[in-house]
Amino acid sequence: MAGIRLERLTKRYGSKNVVDGIDLEIAEGQFTVLVGPSGCGKTTSLRMIAGLVEPTSGRIYIGDRDVTDLEPKDRNIAMVFQNYALYPHLSVRDNISFGLRARKKSKAVIDERVEYAAHLLNVRELLDRKPGELSGGQQQRVAIGRAIVRQPEVFLFDEPLSNLDAKLRVEMRTELLRLQRALGATMVYVTHDQEESMALADELVVMNAGSIQQRGRPQDVYDHPTNTFVSTFIGSPAMNLVEGEIASGVYEGRGIRIAVLDGLPGPVTLGVRPEHIHFIDDLPKEEATEPFEALVDVIEPLGARAMLSLRVGGSQPLRAVVDSRWLGGLIEGEFSEFVFDRNRLHFFR
Amino acid sequence: MMNRLRRVLIAVALLIVVFPYAWVVISSIKSQADLSDPTRLVFTPTLVNWRAVVEGGILGSAATSVVVGVVTVVIALISGTLAAYSISKLRTGGDKTRFTVLLSEMMPPAVLVIPLFFLALSAGVRDTLFAVIPAHLTFVVPVVTWFMIGFFDAVPDELEEQARVDGYGRVRAFSKVVLPQVLPGLGAAAIFAFILSWNDLFYALILAGGNTRTLPVAIAGFNTFRGVELGTMSAAILISVVPVLTASFFVQRRLIQGLSGGGVKG
Repeated sequence: MAGIRLERLTKRYGSKNVVDGIDLEIAEGQFTVLVGPSGCGKTTSLRMIAGLVEPTSGRIYIGDRDVTDLEPKDRNIAMVFQNYALYPHLSVRDNISFGLRARKKSKAVIDERVEYAAHLLNVRELLDRKPGELSGGQQQRVAIGRAIVRQPEVFLFDEPLSNLDAKLRVEMRTELLRLQRALGATMVYVTHDQEESMALADELVVMNAGSIQQRGRPQDVYDHPTNTFVSTFIGSPAMNLVEGEIASGVYEGRGIRIAVLDGLPGPVTLGVRPEHIHFIDDLPKEEATEPFEALVDVIEPLGARAMLSLRVGGSQPLRAVVDSRWLGGLIEGEFSEFVFDRNRLHFFR
Repeated sequence: MMNRLRRVLIAVALLIVVFPYAWVVISSIKSQADLSDPTRLVFTPTLVNWRAVVEGGILGSAATSVVVGVVTVVIALISGTLAAYSISKLRTGGDKTRFTVLLSEMMPPAVLVIPLFFLALSAGVRDTLFAVIPAHLTFVVPVVTWFMIGFFDAVPDELEEQARVDGYGRVRAFSKVVLPQVLPGLGAAAIFAFILSWNDLFYALILAGGNTRTLPVAIAGFNTFRGVELGTMSAAILISVVPVLTASFFVQRRLIQGLSGGGVKG
C-alpha cells in the first residue's frame, strides 16, 4: 500500500483548465472520495493518477515514486470503471486473472488469488461464464475481483456504482467499505453522488470547476462547509441560503432578523440546513434565534419526517425538515412561526 | 390483403434477382444449336461448354484471381484496420477523416489507371500480378477502413484502458483486447474486400490483360471477333459467381453492419 501525492496538477484542454493546479495528499490505507458536479475535474484527476490522461503540468507521486511519466501498467494501480469494462471474449475466471497473466505470474499464484477473490466477492459459481451472461451487480463484483487479485498499491474507482439500481447500489456500497477495511487498501473513488461520497469516505474531497473546494472528514465538511458551493452540494435537501446584510450586530435578510455577536458589518449569505429550522416551541429559547413568520406553502410527508416548503420574502422558498410528530394542526397555505438553531448557522461572505 | 401484396412483391423481387442466374445456368448446359434459340426450354443438356471452359485454362485464371484477391485482402486488412483504429480511437485527422476516407471511391478508375499503367511499365511489372495488386488496393483499402471504423467505434474505450492498467502496453492492449472484439467485422471485411478484388475487370484488363489474366478478364475474352461465345461464357460466369455468392450468404449480417457504419447491433 502507498499514499498518493498530487503537486500543482493541471490538465488543460484548449484554453480551459479542466483541472487547475490541484495539490492533494491522499493518505495510505484510506478511502478518499473525490466528489463534485459533472465537469468539475474529478474524473480527469483520477485518470491522470491512472496514467490514462497526460497532465499538462504538475507531478504525481505514488508512495515515494514519481509516476508522472510512467505508463499505466507500470504504476501498480488497479482501476474499476463505471461500465465495468469486462473483456467480453473472456470467461469470468480469465477476466479476473487477466492482470496476473499479463504480468506473467505463476499458475499457482494465479489460481490461489482468483480463488481468494472469488470467495471474497461471492462469484465462485460464475467463474466459467462469460460477462454477457451476468447481471449488472455480478459484473461489478467481477470487475472489483479483477482489481483485488492484482494486489496493487492503489485502487481507483470511477463511479463504479452508478450503473446499478438504487437498492443494489446501497448494498455494494457497504460491501466496498467492508472490502476496504479488510484489505486496508488505499482507495480513491470518484462520484457525483454526494450521499454516496458521505457514506464511503474516510476523507472527502469536494471539487468544482477544476479546483478543490474543501477536504476533510465527511461529517466535518457537512457541519462546517467553507463556502456556499460546498454548503449546497453536500447534504440533501440542500442547505438554505439567504442573502442579507449585517449592520450593528444584527443580520437582516428577507425579513429575517438575527442578533449576531461577532458579525463584521457588510453583505453576507446566511446558510441554514433544513433540519435546523424548527417550530417556535420545539427549541429551548437560548438555542433559538428570533422567531420569524413564514407561509407554509407545501407539506411533503416522508414517513418519520416531513419536508416543508416555507415562503418568506423573496422567491426562493426555505426548505425545512421536521419531525412528523410536531406537524400537529399545520395547514398548507397558513402562516406559522419558526426559528433557526442558533448554534448551527453559517455565514458566508 | 397486405400479406398477399407482400408475397407478390417478394416474388417479383426474387424473379428479378434469380432470373439472370437461372438463364446463365441454362445457357451453360445448352449446345451451340440450342443457344441460337434463347426461348427454347426443352433441350438435351450437355457438358460441352464446361469441358471447353475447363480445358481453355479458365481455372488458371481463377487461381490468378485468388492470388490477387488474397494478397490484396491481407495488405488491405492490415493497413485498413490500423487506419480505422487510428481514426476511430485516436481521432486522427479529426471527425472529417472518417468521411473523406471514401472520397477515393468516388474517383472514376480511369483517372488512376493511366498513372498506374506508366508506373507498372517503368517498374517493369506490367502484365504481372505486381501491377494488379496495388491497383486493387486503391479501392479496397478505403472500403476496408470505412468498414472497420464502425466496428472500432462500438468497442468501449474503457476496455483498452483497463488492459493498459492491467499490465499491457498500447500494442498488446490493441492486439489482445481490442482486436478480438472486432474479429467478426474483420472477417466480413476480408470477404467483402476479396469480392471487390475478385470482380474487378477494368484495372486487371488494362494492367495485366496478356499472360496473367484474372478471371473477369478471361471471361471478357469469350466476347470474340466471331461473336459472344454464350455457352462457354455462361459456364465461366458461374465459376466466377458461385464462390462470391456463397461467401456473401454467410456474412450478410456483418456486411450490413459494416456498410452501415456499425449501426446494426451484433
